Amino acid sequence: MSLIADRPGPGLARLYRFPQVVRRDVAGGRVVAAHLPGQNLAVALLLLDAGAGREPVGREGLGAVLAKALEEGTAQRDATGYALAIEALGTELVTGLDWDSFQVSVQVPVGRLSAAVELLAEAVRTPRLDPDDVRRVRDDEATALRMDWANPGPRAEAALRADLFGAQNRWGRPMYGDPDSVAALDVEDVTVFHSEWFLRPGTLIVAGDLDRLDLDALGAAAFAGTGGGPVPPEGPIDVPLRAGRRILLVDRPGSVQSTLRLGHPSPHRAHPDHVPMTLAGTVLGGAFTSRLNHLIREVRGYTYGIRGDFASSRRFGRFAVSSGVQTAVTAPALVEAVGEITRTCVGGVTEDELAVARSWRAGQLSVELQSPRAIASALTTLVVHDLPDDHHARLRESLLAADVAEVSAAAATHLHPDSLTLVVEGDAALIRDELTATGLGEIVDAQP
Amino acid sequence: MPDSGYPWPIETTRLDNGLRVVVSEDRTAPAVAVNLWYDVGSRHEPDGQTGFAHLFEHLMFEGSVNVAKTEHMKLVQGAGGSLNATTNPDRTNYFETVPAEHLELALWLEADRMGGLVPALTQETLDNQRDVVKNERRQRYENVPYGDAWLRLLPLLYPPGHPYHHATIGSMADLNAADLATFQAFHRTYYAPNNAVLTVVGDASAVEVFALADKYFGAIPARESIPAAPDGRHVPAAGAPVAETVTAAVPAPRVFVAHRTHPFGTPGYDVLTVLATVLGSGRGSRLYQRLADGERLAQPDLVGAYGVDLRHAPAPLIVTATARPGVTGERLAAGVAEVVDELATVPVTAAELDRAKALLSTAWWRQMSTVDGRADTLGRYATQFGDPAKAAERLPAWLAVTAEQIAELAAEALRAEDRVTLTYLPEETA
Repeated sequence: MSLIADRPGPGLARLYRFPQVVRRDVAGGRVVAAHLPGQNLAVALLLLDAGAGREPVGREGLGAVLAKALEEGTAQRDATGYALAIEALGTELVTGLDWDSFQVSVQVPVGRLSAAVELLAEAVRTPRLDPDDVRRVRDDEATALRMDWANPGPRAEAALRADLFGAQNRWGRPMYGDPDSVAALDVEDVTVFHSEWFLRPGTLIVAGDLDRLDLDALGAAAFAGTGGGPVPPEGPIDVPLRAGRRILLVDRPGSVQSTLRLGHPSPHRAHPDHVPMTLAGTVLGGAFTSRLNHLIREVRGYTYGIRGDFASSRRFGRFAVSSGVQTAVTAPALVEAVGEITRTCVGGVTEDELAVARSWRAGQLSVELQSPRAIASALTTLVVHDLPDDHHARLRESLLAADVAEVSAAAATHLHPDSLTLVVEGDAALIRDELTATGLGEIVDAQP
Repeated sequence: MPDSGYPWPIETTRLDNGLRVVVSEDRTAPAVAVNLWYDVGSRHEPDGQTGFAHLFEHLMFEGSVNVAKTEHMKLVQGAGGSLNATTNPDRTNYFETVPAEHLELALWLEADRMGGLVPALTQETLDNQRDVVKNERRQRYENVPYGDAWLRLLPLLYPPGHPYHHATIGSMADLNAADLATFQAFHRTYYAPNNAVLTVVGDASAVEVFALADKYFGAIPARESIPAAPDGRHVPAAGAPVAETVTAAVPAPRVFVAHRTHPFGTPGYDVLTVLATVLGSGRGSRLYQRLADGERLAQPDLVGAYGVDLRHAPAPLIVTATARPGVTGERLAAGVAEVVDELATVPVTAAELDRAKALLSTAWWRQMSTVDGRADTLGRYATQFGDPAKAAERLPAWLAVTAEQIAELAAEALRAEDRVTLTYLPEETA
């Protein structure tokens, strides 16, 4: 038997091109589309400036409740009629929100997109919002969150966010709200939020075979009956770093793993260091081959996986590491994770590691941008962050051009191991003493 | 109605050592998906060795004769690729999608671990990945509410000795007992070219792939006889309903109703797929309309029904619902049972049928919208049906299902006396 011992080199690279982008003003709104010739499936996504960042403090979860309430009947039909009409086209109404935007989308065979967009607009622009329905949806959503919060993770996330950004701020509270904030919403909160943010035109994202789609008609359907211009975005928030490291302990009795969420604030999306910072995060924790996963999973066997990254929105960002580790090794896992963050901050990255990180990130731009859903999501990024049509080509170039000095400098500037908040959600009775003994920082009990 | 669910070219060949190679060229993007289906899964595991097929999958990423430990992941990610592997009761598959110029690298890596894993396998690697898998078990099954439902349902559905009796993740005791020699033997037994299908979809021609496959895999010897898994096609009827109630740290009562139906790929399973969509997909489904919206017994986002696409025995239908506050597990279970029972007695309407078929069409084309989705599908049909082109028949088969067939299937396979009901109840709070 003879396997071939020599590793083959790459063949001739063929350049990836992001699909042709079409931007068009229609009926008071804007359509941004990507042409996917021959693709049977199409996606339309209505992007509204109604993200969690628009929710008033104390009203967290408003957008999520409104998202559900949109499907409880419209001016034209009741909830059941609506469900049957849209699902008969082969799609559900998919809603999502992040800090910067609210998104509603449909995904159907291309010939049905026009009918699906009409139904999407009917729900978004003319929902019934009957008070009894809104109250029921709110109660269901509060229960759903209570159930979700029985899983490990959401409470640790909430504790980390509050500690990083301050619970007095909207951005210091959970993106989807918590069970109590949702339960406290009233009908008027929902109807006012709808009239304030859901009747502006917004942007319609379309990914599909444009030879078989009429963008003007889609835009006209999406923007019918809307009014009010865009509201200028607010600027980035200056979030101070914590003066010292500390451990927040969230008790989860009986837990067989400890959930780790370690983090600190980091720059917003438009920061000029975005690319080198992303690459530093990739070397440290962004890929399977990263330092954290290599040490904590592949060498120690403490976890099924550990990830870390810089995430950013228009106004703020955060660096965070997340994992679930076996209860018995909580302390050593935490010590070693902090050790890798520190080592990366102090010592930077190596060319060997950076080579993997930059070609992985660049390659992902072609490998992961195939489905209409993925392309629609990429278009959304262009719109939300005001990026040019050739953003993906430029991003690819800057990823491939980033050198060790630049990425190491970003690691040194944007990693702050001494300002980390270390949230540990686990069986406090079993892990408290060991956590104290690590000397990583003061232990504070948190009850998010 | 489309004539075909797979309107791309498919070319196949078989190397002298038995490796089947499937190629579907598509030059839309400069990316290529490489997918290997090995016809071995947890159904092949004997007593005392549960979880071994999956633990073995982990070992396949830890180096082989010409690939150093940790290098596999690094080379694929360093080429810009995405990669992973999964194990289920039926099979184990390994896949990567890479920029097209790295196709040869991907094939070299796959060939090296098919033909040269055993000499590189060490006790240290086994011990490390055993710990990783035990943490996977903790994370996915033990540390989350209702996480062990699948582990509990399988033994209620399939008797001891049946290849689907135990879950793929295995037991902690068996994982602890795993020794190196067993894994060396496992590879020699099942990881043979004549027990695998290599599928390549995307920016590559069949001629090119066939030549590369021969170059890298051609020297790996076939294995004469590969032991079959136990035959699970006939499951003796229990003759009476089976019910289990679990009191655990869960936030609300949750019910799972399960039935053995037909193997994936049979006409009966096509009917089941449509039936499950009518019953449990979307807000227009019967479960949503009756239990979430109508009687308000169930949490709206947590009702559902689906078939588990298993090929080698009557595959399960799983129906689930979670109670709204104030609703007991008993009341919810009765509500779910009633909706399931009605599938045999209340005819599915044309609107219900159209809705289900429209949702299934979208789901099919979503799977086909990426080269990796297509590669996995072709690998499945080549492995389980002997012909990747049979993939094209699935969508038309779903679209041909009638309301009468659904009622017949419900009457035959969803009878109360063949039902498995698993109910979770929250612990009493002091």
